[in-house]
Amino acid sequence: MKVGILGAASSKFGELWDISPKQLVNQTIKETIANSNIKISEVEAIYVGNMLSGILGNQENLGAFFAEELGFNLPAFKIEGACASGGLALHNAILAIRSGLYQKVLVIGVEKMTDHKPEEVSLALMGAGSSAERTAGLTFPGLYALIARVYMNKYRVTQEDLAAVAVKNHYHGSLNPKAHFRYRVTIEKVLKSPVVADPLKLLDCSPISDGASCAILANGDIAKKKHQKPVWIMASSVATDTLNLTKRDNLTSLKAVVMAAKKAYSESGINPSNIDIAEVHDCFTIAEIIALEDLGFFEKGKAGKAVRKGQLTLGTAPKLVVNSSGGLKACGHPVGATGVKQLVEVVEQLRGVANGRQVDRAKVGLTHNVGGSGAVAAVHILKT
Amino acid sequence: MITNSPVKIWRTQKKIAKHLGKEGIIESYTIIKVPPLGFENLAPYPVVLVALNKERLIGQLVDYEKEDIRIGRKVEVVLRRVKQPSKEGIIPYGIKFKPV
Repeated sequence: MKVGILGAASSKFGELWDISPKQLVNQTIKETIANSNIKISEVEAIYVGNMLSGILGNQENLGAFFAEELGFNLPAFKIEGACASGGLALHNAILAIRSGLYQKVLVIGVEKMTDHKPEEVSLALMGAGSSAERTAGLTFPGLYALIARVYMNKYRVTQEDLAAVAVKNHYHGSLNPKAHFRYRVTIEKVLKSPVVADPLKLLDCSPISDGASCAILANGDIAKKKHQKPVWIMASSVATDTLNLTKRDNLTSLKAVVMAAKKAYSESGINPSNIDIAEVHDCFTIAEIIALEDLGFFEKGKAGKAVRKGQLTLGTAPKLVVNSSGGLKACGHPVGATGVKQLVEVVEQLRGVANGRQVDRAKVGLTHNVGGSGAVAAVHILKT
Repeated sequence: MITNSPVKIWRTQKKIAKHLGKEGIIESYTIIKVPPLGFENLAPYPVVLVALNKERLIGQLVDYEKEDIRIGRKVEVVLRRVKQPSKEGIIPYGIKFKPV
């Protein structure tokens, strides 16, 4: 069964101290419904992607929590898979429609992080890692720093190459009114920013953000009837790997991503060379470089130089533009929202409504959402 | 944030002994400048990924000189306090590494 997207919207991402998660989701649902040509009462089920509402906000039962807000009784679920929670919620919503049980489903991705101290957020996020990594006093920047050092040695990639990812994504973020950071940075500025976990610096890292993203998914017949430009889900795949970094054979590639991507390409019949835009999980600059290779866009060791030459930047890219939203780096990374936000960005690009950051003739898009240091990955391919 | 259950500490600590004294080589390292809750008074601290005979382990490097923080350095597993004890007073111990 074909699955199409009706409305899709994101809230402003950033440090939103004056707004509660409930209000944030409410306003994003309203915007999503307004673009969907359906009434809120037509929604048959809700899938919520969220990681930290329990550990940080002491609020669980998020399915019922947001269903209550809609004002009627319906099946609703929280899906958790660390920073891939949004991508996993999307996958489950797609399965629900493909099964024929539901025809119209609401997907919510949400996270409220900036209410809490950075040390608390770092500890809470480490719930996505292993016990051994927590005992070591590691953080996510620390885990990706361990990966970065191995990768940089093996492929002779420099800190400047990593910084180029931040430069590109901040440039894209400067064009996105919803982005957490709307300023541009230079390679020098990235290199001079304070070290968080050597060799990764502050401007190599995505921020702690608040934000929500929503989408209404519908079966093929309804999507065609309700929307002039439905965007179709061509593939939705998920794979997992060990939580613990030390248990992996290869530290310079994420097996879960390679597996999920392979499945998505075969499910859709679409190749990496057909993709016009991709939202990839750049939680750290090194993560985008490895993602570009694991997704099949570049050979191992080649992605860093391509980013630095501007081959994936809006305006200078020959074809594929990566992270036109600003990515996690500049658009922000409210962890449970990210996977859904990537979908929202691709939908806007494919419908040609991305205004100042529109990629010309974008027809095929990909989203890549990762949880933990590569323990889970969700890949989606979309087409107009 | 319920992280310091005495029962959990007791159960986990039984698994530590088998690793003590093992030797390995630093395969990667980082220096944590922004620590998680419970590790504030240790930062900055190096964390090393160590390749042993048939496995890898991860932990902080202790009793080191600056030049010991490098790929290829030989290290051994030691027992150390992990972080500040909880209100129950149970001290969490775990593995760390020191240069050989």
